[in-house]
Amino acid sequence: MKIFGFHLMPYPDLPADHLDSADSSWVTLSNALFDPHQGHLLYRRYLDELVAYDRAGFDGLCVNEHHQTPYGLMPAPDVAAAVLVPQTSCQIAILGNALPLRDHPLRVAEEVAMLDVISGGRIISGFVRGIGAEYHTFGIDPATSRERFYEAHDLIIAAWTRPGPFEWYGKHYKFRYVNPWPRPLQQPHPPIWSPSQGSGETIDWAARNRYTYLQTYSDIATVRRVFDDFRAATQGYGYVAPPEQIGWSIPVFVADTDERAEAVALPALDTLFNRLMRMPKDVFFPAGYLTPASGARVMAGKQGLGSGSADVRDLVRRGYALIGSPDTVRQKFEAYQKELGFGCFCGVFQFGSLGHDQFLDSLHLFAQKVMPAIRGLGVPHDVPAPIAAT
Amino acid sequence: MTTTSSAPVSAAEPAEHIIDVRGRRIRVAQAGHGAPLVYLHGAGDLGDWGPALSLLARDFTVYRPDHPGFNHSDDDPSVDTVLDMAFSYLDLFDRLSLDRPGLVGVSLGGWLAAQIAVLAPDRFAKLVLVDAAGLRTEVPTPDVFTLSPVQQAELLYHRADLRAAAVAAAEKITEDPGLFQRYLRNRMASAHLAWNPYMHDPKLPGRLHRLAAPVLVVWGAQDRLLPVEYAHRWVAALGTARLEIIDEAGHLPAVEQPDTFAALVREFLSLGALSPEVGA
Repeated sequence: MKIFGFHLMPYPDLPADHLDSADSSWVTLSNALFDPHQGHLLYRRYLDELVAYDRAGFDGLCVNEHHQTPYGLMPAPDVAAAVLVPQTSCQIAILGNALPLRDHPLRVAEEVAMLDVISGGRIISGFVRGIGAEYHTFGIDPATSRERFYEAHDLIIAAWTRPGPFEWYGKHYKFRYVNPWPRPLQQPHPPIWSPSQGSGETIDWAARNRYTYLQTYSDIATVRRVFDDFRAATQGYGYVAPPEQIGWSIPVFVADTDERAEAVALPALDTLFNRLMRMPKDVFFPAGYLTPASGARVMAGKQGLGSGSADVRDLVRRGYALIGSPDTVRQKFEAYQKELGFGCFCGVFQFGSLGHDQFLDSLHLFAQKVMPAIRGLGVPHDVPAPIAAT
Repeated sequence: MTTTSSAPVSAAEPAEHIIDVRGRRIRVAQAGHGAPLVYLHGAGDLGDWGPALSLLARDFTVYRPDHPGFNHSDDDPSVDTVLDMAFSYLDLFDRLSLDRPGLVGVSLGGWLAAQIAVLAPDRFAKLVLVDAAGLRTEVPTPDVFTLSPVQQAELLYHRADLRAAAVAAAEKITEDPGLFQRYLRNRMASAHLAWNPYMHDPKLPGRLHRLAAPVLVVWGAQDRLLPVEYAHRWVAALGTARLEIIDEAGHLPAVEQPDTFAALVREFLSLGALSPEVGA
């Protein structure tokens, strides 16, 4: 089991009437609510917490990209990674750069290559589309999201692997000279991960490219279906995804007892799911972000994150978070692993309004009492290793 | 932006034609007799004919195409902008062999009408821009791309009866898979055209001097999507244009006040020589 620690860098100190006065924590929630001095203290603390994953023996840590929201203070994940490179020795997964939001994907090729060379080849390069709200943020037509994503990806891989200079004249990106210095240290390029909420197109794309597929924020039934779909998709491309090519990301909180874990974690999860993730559906899934067919299915659903009224206890029951004593978390983890077959785990140990000491206590309990028992899970036995990405 | 269905006024059901435009199928509804009138629909239009067109069909041959990518017309991957769509429309007008039609455009369709007429000013007799998108002022407007169907219906209509009916229809839009997919597809096509810059083309004002046809600007006095200040912006940008503001109407005066709307358009298009058989 590859074990990673994820951090979203939330800004939880919103006014108490936030839920009454704003229908969204994204795009339009005024940045007048952000206190830079408070932000300074939070960044210092959060970077320490990311380093704590490394000290606790995790295989790697994860940063990500979100915009114009207190949900996460990391609009520039490559900047976060750059700060962490000299303070750590583990892998650093950037989950991920939101490619379609960039008008110049070569910037991503350059920044990630730079990080890879500086870090001595410790970078994992995640590529995502960015969530729907971010298409409002950047004025990018969401109906072009998928084709921009694919083209930017193809361009970046070419920039990393084809000797330059060469020309690129795609539909969305046009360059007379593609020839980035530096090139990445890892060859042919850093490992690529595909974090997703499980769209069929992304599952197929990750399977075809032999990338690690990472499922985020879903109930267990969905995770099981998605992982089964992913394994089936890989078979369609002539191989079977080994466990380490299948990743699961989920909030985790461990305390001495189940009761204490719930008492601390549930309010923090409420902040995460009902305050920081709150946004109208038409902002979450803007025009053309999903195909009309899948859009009709998603938009017609009455449930879903973002509504601001999710029952967090129910979310935990449905597998949106892993909460409990060390024994409970270990048992749940073993059961989920057996059911889902993943070999890569990205735990979100800091979420919502958790305090620094609460984070550290939970992290250390996990590292001491859970991690040793789950290390041996998800190691491939009878499945062939993947062919290296080309 | 949800449904505009009211019972057609007397005139026969429009005939539906599928026109092949460079390999893509464009649906054109057609009814009436007399000089040609092309009606260019708005972004939220779900393809209905509507009472105002039936009234106009008494005096004109009314053509109501679905834009490429909207309603019952095929997608056209070459269309990313209103300018692209204007070129596509010139091809459609060639296929229909239209002789100097009147162009009536509503909302997004008004922007499109102005763009088409800028490209080919001699091909159109007259231009009617109705609560037209395409220009920008400092007057704030709602971002329709952030609004749910219900929120759009609430903003769209002024008359309480029509608003209530539209809201009720919008609340149920997800229950009709075909209709809801059409709604989502129209939104996707609208995003290509109008996501950024939001609902306008900064270069359009500098090109409007190319227009040769007389222009009537029609506006709903209580339009809350594009407030009436935008009507004055159009008149100023056009230099010379007639302005008619219809009271007790929001963004869709043709739906909220069909008699007044049709009478204004009929009178404007009939004045002078649109073509000889007007009113025949």
